[in-house]
Amino acid sequence: MTVIVCLDNANGMMFNHRRQSRDANVIRDILETIDGASLLVSPYSEPLFSQAEYRVSVSDSFLADAGAGDYCFVENTSVAEFKEKISKLVIYKWNRDYPADFYFDIDYANDYKLDTTLDFCGTSHEKITKEVYVR
Amino acid sequence: MSFFSKKPKSIADFEKEIEKLRQKKKLSARNSERLEEYEKQLSSLKTAEEAEQKKKARQKKIAIGSIAASLALVTCIIIAGCISERGTVEPPEVSPGYTISDFSTGTTTPSDTSVDSSSSSEASAPPATSNATAPAKESNSSFSISEVPAYSGSPYAVINNNIPYFTESDYTTSSYEYYSDLDSLGRCGVCMASIGKDLMPTEERGSIGSVKPTGWRTVKYDNVDGKYLYNRCHLIGYQLSGENANTKNLITGTRYLNIQGMLPFENMVADYVKETGNHILYRSTPIFEGNNLLASGVLLEAYSVEDKGEGICFNVYCYNVQPDISIDYATGDSSFAGAQQTEPPKQTEQPNSPVQNVESTYILNTNTKKFHYPSCSSVKQMSDKNKQTYTGSRDDLISQGYDPCKKCNP
Repeated sequence: MTVIVCLDNANGMMFNHRRQSRDANVIRDILETIDGASLLVSPYSEPLFSQAEYRVSVSDSFLADAGAGDYCFVENTSVAEFKEKISKLVIYKWNRDYPADFYFDIDYANDYKLDTTLDFCGTSHEKITKEVYVR
Repeated sequence: MSFFSKKPKSIADFEKEIEKLRQKKKLSARNSERLEEYEKQLSSLKTAEEAEQKKKARQKKIAIGSIAASLALVTCIIIAGCISERGTVEPPEVSPGYTISDFSTGTTTPSDTSVDSSSSSEASAPPATSNATAPAKESNSSFSISEVPAYSGSPYAVINNNIPYFTESDYTTSSYEYYSDLDSLGRCGVCMASIGKDLMPTEERGSIGSVKPTGWRTVKYDNVDGKYLYNRCHLIGYQLSGENANTKNLITGTRYLNIQGMLPFENMVADYVKETGNHILYRSTPIFEGNNLLASGVLLEAYSVEDKGEGICFNVYCYNVQPDISIDYATGDSSFAGAQQTEPPKQTEQPNSPVQNVESTYILNTNTKKFHYPSCSSVKQMSDKNKQTYTGSRDDLISQGYDPCKKCNP
């Protein structure tokens, strides 16, 4: 499966059970990236995709449920235990500092290989960097 | 009789006189001088009038905030069971430059942090997600500096399980901003705002180098990011309220407080407001101990109104410290306290001397947040989109978060 996450400069994801940031252009890019494939999310993330043209699959156990070709958008869930299932990572970097008390728990820089990188402008971020890592 | 005795006073007078002088076929040296003088004064008058109009517009905006803050005051008084002779809604009496005892004893002010806990818990949203951290404990009713742990490496400490001390009556979906008057020592007090998109700035920030908050020292250390220990630190960040060189909104804060402590929270709030169009109730309170001129830290509280805290909810204390630097909070004096220091601190300004504000022209890279001399080779490689010419002081640029280019070392 492919895991999609958004990270700050310190690989942070959440603070006080709330996402650090959001950007409409990231959501748009995610939907373009998955190109019609299944997108699985937790109930917390579902509202971000409320405007999507097709339904996302929502479940508390979405990481466990995901198949090999599925995409999982992760915000508030530890992924380390599913590492063996994760063949690809799509990381959106905010290029900003936010408070964080919940971090991405995969050492992607060492355990995966950077495949592509792309900078684009967000609706509320000057520069978002999209990095794709593969095994 | 000198022509200055008949000098025009109003803009219309000046324009009339200037027109008369311009219509003369040949001007004497004296009239040329007069024309030049009048043109300058007309320009100054117009600038002053524009500034006055902007000020009035802002005061109108603040007045709305004052009413909201006053309502909060009345509520606080009722909740605390305090007897007050002020039964009507009036401009808030703010206790600027709170002392620690103010917080622990619960002095009632519009921005009082000592409120009834039932109000606080009613206002707080349940955690938006369940597995990131341990379940929230019950909230307390008031802030006390004694509950803040000593600084131990993190730029901030969570207060009251991240539940702000706002009361239900504080919440509004109208934007406003409120800044306490300076106290007798010239210190800032609580600043409060309902931050909406309409309050956010639409232009780049101007110079704040003319503001000299209490405890201000211009001193450099090699181990400080950007060298300068102190920044003019916005209590409510410019990116949130667009409030720039307001003396009631600027404290002396370490680089660490500004960049590591407060900025990440401001970023989180700014993004949320921009993306959702919702409002954040935001309060920033500098904590001064006794008569100290330098704040020990800043209490930051924020809560997203429309979604009842689902998007943003925090209550944190940001330490006004700098790793490896020892600070005297009574005066702002400092000294290196780490293991290695290649050179002694460079005190570039005496405490009571005028603000050092030497102006130069620099080229800014708004993307990398570096600034360069115009002749620097990096300027040629810079994208026009990110390039900006700036004339002002180096100190001010650093205060704005810019770092000097390591190549041209401006």
